[in-house]
Amino acid sequence: MEYLGLSLALFGAALAAALAGIGSAIGIGIAGGAAAGVMTEDPNKFGSCLILQALPGTQGIYGLLIAFFVLNKLGLLGGAGAVALNWNQGLQILASCLPIAVVGWYSAIWQGKTSAASIMMIGKKPEAMGKAIILPAMVETYAVLALLTSILMLMGVQVG
Amino acid sequence: MSYVYTVARLRGMENHILDTAFFSRLMDSASVDDALKALGETSYSQWISGAGNFDKAIDSEMLATCQELESFVPDKGLLDIFRLPYDFHNVKVLLKGLFKVRGGESEGRRYDLLSKLGTVDTEELTNAVETEEYSYLPYGLTDLIPQCWQLWDAAKNAQAVELLIDHQMFRAMLGVADGLGMPEITAWVKHRIDAENLRSAVRLSRMKYEASKALPFFHEGGTIPPDDMARLLNEPQETWGRLLSHTDIGAVLSALQDSGDIKASLSDVSKSLDDYLVRVLEGAKYSIDAPANVLLYLLTKEAETRNMRVALVCVAGGLDREFGRRLLSNGR
Repeated sequence: MEYLGLSLALFGAALAAALAGIGSAIGIGIAGGAAAGVMTEDPNKFGSCLILQALPGTQGIYGLLIAFFVLNKLGLLGGAGAVALNWNQGLQILASCLPIAVVGWYSAIWQGKTSAASIMMIGKKPEAMGKAIILPAMVETYAVLALLTSILMLMGVQVG
Repeated sequence: MSYVYTVARLRGMENHILDTAFFSRLMDSASVDDALKALGETSYSQWISGAGNFDKAIDSEMLATCQELESFVPDKGLLDIFRLPYDFHNVKVLLKGLFKVRGGESEGRRYDLLSKLGTVDTEELTNAVETEEYSYLPYGLTDLIPQCWQLWDAAKNAQAVELLIDHQMFRAMLGVADGLGMPEITAWVKHRIDAENLRSAVRLSRMKYEASKALPFFHEGGTIPPDDMARLLNEPQETWGRLLSHTDIGAVLSALQDSGDIKASLSDVSKSLDDYLVRVLEGAKYSIDAPANVLLYLLTKEAETRNMRVALVCVAGGLDREFGRRLLSNGR
C-alpha cells in the first residue's frame, strides 16, 4: 500500500498523455486522409491542408503537458526523488488528469472529422480558408476548457 | 475501409464538372467547330478528334472517369451498380442483332451501339453471346441469355425479351447493393426501380395501355409494389401525385402537377426522375465518409455527359436552343 498513491498518480499522468495522444493520432489520421484526397487533385493546397490537419494534434500536446505537470508535482523530474503520497492524494491526482484524458481523446477525433470536412470545403472553395479554420477551432474550445480544469484541479491537490 | 480519402478526392474532382450555365453558353455556339473550340479547356478536349466524333468522345470521358474511380474507391461494387446497366444494354444490342441475323438480316449486328462502360469487356461479351459460352458471365447473365433465346424462339417478341433483361438487371443491381451492406445504396437502387417503373407507367398511360395487361412492364424490388404501379393506369394521370403522395417519388409528380406540367413531355418527366435520383443521394454531400458520394459523383458526371450530348446535338442539328435548355439536367 506504500506506493499506491504514487501508482494512482502515475496512472493518471499516463492516461492524460495516452488517451489524448491516441485521440490526436486518430484525428490527424482522419484529416490526413482528406488532405491526401484533396491534394491528389490539387497539390497546391498543401499549405492550407497542413494547417487544418495539424489542428487535432493539440490535444496530444495538452495531455503531455498535464503528464509533465503531474511528474513535476510528484518530484519525478529533476532527480530530487518522489514525494510521499497517500492513496487519497494519488486518487485526487488521477481524477485531475481525467478531464484532459477523456475530453482530449474524444474531442481530437471529432476535431479530426471537422478538419476533414473543412479540408474538403477548401478543396472546392479555397477562398473560404478563414471560415474553414474556425469550424474545427470551435471543437478546440472544449479541449482547452478540459486542460484548464485539469490544471486547476492539479494545483489544488496538496502533496508532500 | 475509410471513405474520407475517397470523398475528399471526389470533392476535388467535382471542381472539374461542367455546370448547366456552361452548357447553356455552349448551345449558343454558332457551329460545331465553335462548340468544340469552347470545349478546348475541358477534359473532353483530349478525346475529341473531329466534329462528327463527339459521341465517342463523351463515352471515352465517362469511361476514363470510371477507370479513375476504380483506382481509389474501396468497394468496386459501387462502380458496378453504376456500370452494370451498360452490360445489360450491351446484351440487348447483341441479342437483338442475333435475332435479326437469325431472321435472315445479314446486317443485323450493330456493334457500334455497344457501350464500353459495362463491367464486361465488349469483345468478351460479344464472343460469349455469339458462341453461346455464357458460363463465366456475371449478374445472372449465364441463365438469362438462354431464357431470352427460349422466349424469342417461342414468341418472337423483342419487347418481352427486353423486359426479361431489365427485370434481371434490377435484380442484379439489388444483389450488388445488398452485398455492399450499405443501406443507403440499397435504398437508392429501390428508388431507381421506382423511377423506372414510374417512367414506364407514364409511357403506358400515354399509350392508353390497359392496367390489367401492364403488370409485366413493372419491375420488382422498388419501394412501390408493381401491382400499385399497374393500378395507376386506371386513374387519370393528374391524380397520380396524390395517389403516390405517401412515397418519396410522389413528390416528383406533385412538383410536375404544381407547375401545371403534368402532361409534360416524356423527356421532361425523364429529366425530373433523373434529377430525383440525384437528389435522393444529396444528403451524402454533408458527410465526410459516406460511400454514397461515389454514386452521387458518377450520376453527376453522367448528367454532365448527357448535357454535353444535348448541347452538341442542338448545335450540330441546328435545333431550337430553348428546347435544348429545357432538356439540360441539373447536374451541378
